[in-house]
Amino acid sequence: MSPPDERRAPDALLLAQLHARGRWPPPDGPRVAIVGSRRPSPYGEAAAEQLSADLAGAGVVVISGLALGIDAAAHRGAISGDGITVAVMGTGVDMVYPAAHTRLAEDILAAGGALVSQFAAGTPPRRQNFPARNWTMAALSDAVVVVEAGEGSGALITAGAALELHKEVMAVPGSIFSPLSVGSHALLREGAGLVQNARDILAVLGLGGEVLDDPLGAPERLGFALHPERDGIVIHLSDTLAVSAAELARKLQLPVAEVIGRLTALELDGAVRRHQSGYVRALRRGKERA
Amino acid sequence: MGAHADSLEHDLVEVHGQEEARRALEVAAAGGHHVLMTGPPGAGKTMLARCLPGIMPGLELAEALEVAQVRSLLGELPAGRPLDWVRPFRAPHHGVSMAGLIGGGAGLALPGEISRAHHGVLFLDELAEFQASVLQALRQPLESGRVAITRSGGSVVYPARFTLVAATNPCPCGWAGDGQRNCRCTPAVIDAYLRKLSGPLLDRIDLKVTVRRVPLGELASEPRGEGSALVRERVRAARQRQVERQGFLNAQLKPARLRQLASLEPASRRTLERWAEQKGLTARGFHRAWRVARTAADLDGSEQIAEAHILESLGYRLHDVAA
Repeated sequence: MSPPDERRAPDALLLAQLHARGRWPPPDGPRVAIVGSRRPSPYGEAAAEQLSADLAGAGVVVISGLALGIDAAAHRGAISGDGITVAVMGTGVDMVYPAAHTRLAEDILAAGGALVSQFAAGTPPRRQNFPARNWTMAALSDAVVVVEAGEGSGALITAGAALELHKEVMAVPGSIFSPLSVGSHALLREGAGLVQNARDILAVLGLGGEVLDDPLGAPERLGFALHPERDGIVIHLSDTLAVSAAELARKLQLPVAEVIGRLTALELDGAVRRHQSGYVRALRRGKERA
Repeated sequence: MGAHADSLEHDLVEVHGQEEARRALEVAAAGGHHVLMTGPPGAGKTMLARCLPGIMPGLELAEALEVAQVRSLLGELPAGRPLDWVRPFRAPHHGVSMAGLIGGGAGLALPGEISRAHHGVLFLDELAEFQASVLQALRQPLESGRVAITRSGGSVVYPARFTLVAATNPCPCGWAGDGQRNCRCTPAVIDAYLRKLSGPLLDRIDLKVTVRRVPLGELASEPRGEGSALVRERVRAARQRQVERQGFLNAQLKPARLRQLASLEPASRRTLERWAEQKGLTARGFHRAWRVARTAADLDGSEQIAEAHILESLGYRLHDVAA
């Protein structure tokens, strides 16, 4: 647990104490942490990316931990929403962990965001440092949103810290069959705010509803609506479970060569995404889509 | 020519489900393309690979003679039955030495597994477990269909025109992406594992498919597919078209000939170019997808390469997606 003085630290003091690269402190405005599993489902990844993009577009600074999975999706989403995002690191700000996120770290800086850390330059990744980092993330944020967290995940530490610091805690629901949503559902049962779209988060922060004016318009904005000219086989795909071309061919009684081709056409249009074990429906509109 | 006995030892009719992999094998057999299958243990990768020789037409006389020559050099020609019409199938263990796979040994260099697989199939199971240097040595024969081995006593060239079928688990524990079992590998470990596979060898494999495990309970209800004999007839017709058009299989088409013999309809070209741009395809990758589309069109009995053929060929480019 973090020392009490740090826990109650005034915002300005905390901001000044952190080592930083990039624009720091960030521009004024609400700050929301989006955290979750390092190995999310396609659904969790899409949810984190979509929420971050919408929040960033509404002027919220999106905070996350630069880890694999949900963290990376949150940073990417904020950048794609032309917003500011801050990575709170468990290492010194002069090293990127994991190394695979070197490019992402550069993109965060290029988009006007920052990499910050409470640890001195040169601090390598140490297991015991990450819970303290999670406290800092909560301290920096007005609200913490958990997207997919299994039991005992680091995201739950961040949520716990947020509760102790009297910050808002919110969670994105998932499938009742998914072990990745056990943690999020436990938070919801204990009273965390339900997140179905960015507006839910903005409302808790007392901010306007101009991001998604029409609640009924949300599904279309989230990409659920079917493009009229788009190949209808897309409705046979799930947004959480990968379906293989073979399964689809069997279900639709079509030659597998044709199904592979039609899925590839949908992939080119950004309507489906390919994962290792098959295809899922893409929730976010791909950049190349009209 | 009595190429195939009535019943094959490994027949596709025994394979339940796995439509994607079956189709990839058909395209491989038709155009001489190499295949990579990714899937968890027990998904049937070995069974699928063993079915490949049976969906290729039997050896021609000239081919059978070359196969016999390699066997003769090794002193392995069966007495009384020198000519074998069935295509070779070789499956060396991942511990195989350089000499064992490529050829070599003391004194006169002897043909290795790749030459024993000449005009047939070389199956490399657990691809990530092979020594990197051994896999590296496959590049030249994969391009040229021959292998040159230089020893102190001189150098020899052996034929090695084989279809490569490689198989791998999706991660070290084998269960990444499986619906029934949880993968225990960390993302970093999976990354390192896939990196081992990537690079020049993977770049030369045209067809990449995912193979999923069929749960035991569903095995009985999974439909059986066509038998090997039916598939072989389509493969034979597609090969015939290629031989009449250009004298050899599509996998060996050089880019210049490809432009000549595999003209793309405007929509097909646009689609291929869109993919190349989105996924950052290299020129090599671009031509590989084009060759596979040529084969898909040949299986369709079509001289023109339609957009559907290009789209199918792009569907086998699994690793563009990971990038």
